[in-house]
Amino acid sequence: MNPYKVFEIKKNIIEDNNREAQIVRERLKKEKTFLLNLMSSPGSGKTTTVLRTIEALKDEMKIGIIEADIDSDVDAYAVAQTGTKVVQLHTGGMCRLNADMTEQGLLQLGTEELDFVLLENIGNLICTAESDTGASKKAMILSVPEGDDKPLKYPVMFSVVDVLIINKIDVMDYFDFDLEAVKERVTKLNPNIKIIPISAKTGEGMDEWTNWLRTEVKNWNEK
Amino acid sequence: MHELGVVFEVIKTVEKFALENELTQIDTIVLQIGELSSMIPSYIEACYPAAIDGTRMQDTKLQIEILPANALCRKCNKVFNIKENQGLCPDCSDNDWEMLSGKEFMIKEIIAF
Repeated sequence: MNPYKVFEIKKNIIEDNNREAQIVRERLKKEKTFLLNLMSSPGSGKTTTVLRTIEALKDEMKIGIIEADIDSDVDAYAVAQTGTKVVQLHTGGMCRLNADMTEQGLLQLGTEELDFVLLENIGNLICTAESDTGASKKAMILSVPEGDDKPLKYPVMFSVVDVLIINKIDVMDYFDFDLEAVKERVTKLNPNIKIIPISAKTGEGMDEWTNWLRTEVKNWNEK
Repeated sequence: MHELGVVFEVIKTVEKFALENELTQIDTIVLQIGELSSMIPSYIEACYPAAIDGTRMQDTKLQIEILPANALCRKCNKVFNIKENQGLCPDCSDNDWEMLSGKEFMIKEIIAF
């Protein structure tokens, strides 16, 4: 007789992560900490945008930053220079952050006193879109040099985020970037998305972005 | 290749299950992967040996079952394969349907003692 037996597991790895993410979200809600998951391709200006955002909001709320990268701590170093609480997560080759890794970052950071935690996700438009980190809201940056066809090529990312920042609009004249076409393509995928064109370098549009954040942080922490 | 991270998740989950149920030897892991999940079965197979190397499961075999991307047409109730029909109901050509299966990534069962 074969001594082996079949054990039914029926475990959905993705659902497991979604459950963990939900637990993270509920805890942050109780703690009155708003968590933003910020995603984009590498080189879209995420860190510059984060630094600008800290500058604009640091006097009105307590901010913490989680930097996630495959390797290095250059981003965390840049953020630490502003005096903001920051932790660096290394995913060791993994292309996405799951809820469990985010939770470790949150624990390391200590969120009890914080109003707003910004998670700067790994530069990647594919895997990060499919993984719930437990964030209150999701944002992404598309930068002008990447091109206006990205919503066509990476539809999942554009359809899961609450807000799309279009960065580097100061160099729009040098690229064949059709802003109206992007808006149309994105709205088709995601009718409720908020689109904010900015230049993190010149500061253009930053008010609209920080106002959106202010409102979201307030709504999350009050209700 | 994002499959590696997910395979590590699988190994972790099975190891935990084995420990809880006092299983000493795991012969086979059976995964169910949907046609529209973002995991590519051949990549899963390719990185599996690297993921089990040096673990208690280094002799464990891997079996993959593919689940079809099926949808139910809301208009005429036909069940059809989304991939084969480019997202349109083959009977009434409508694109208003509900997905029945195809995005799964599941550990279905393990064979062990």
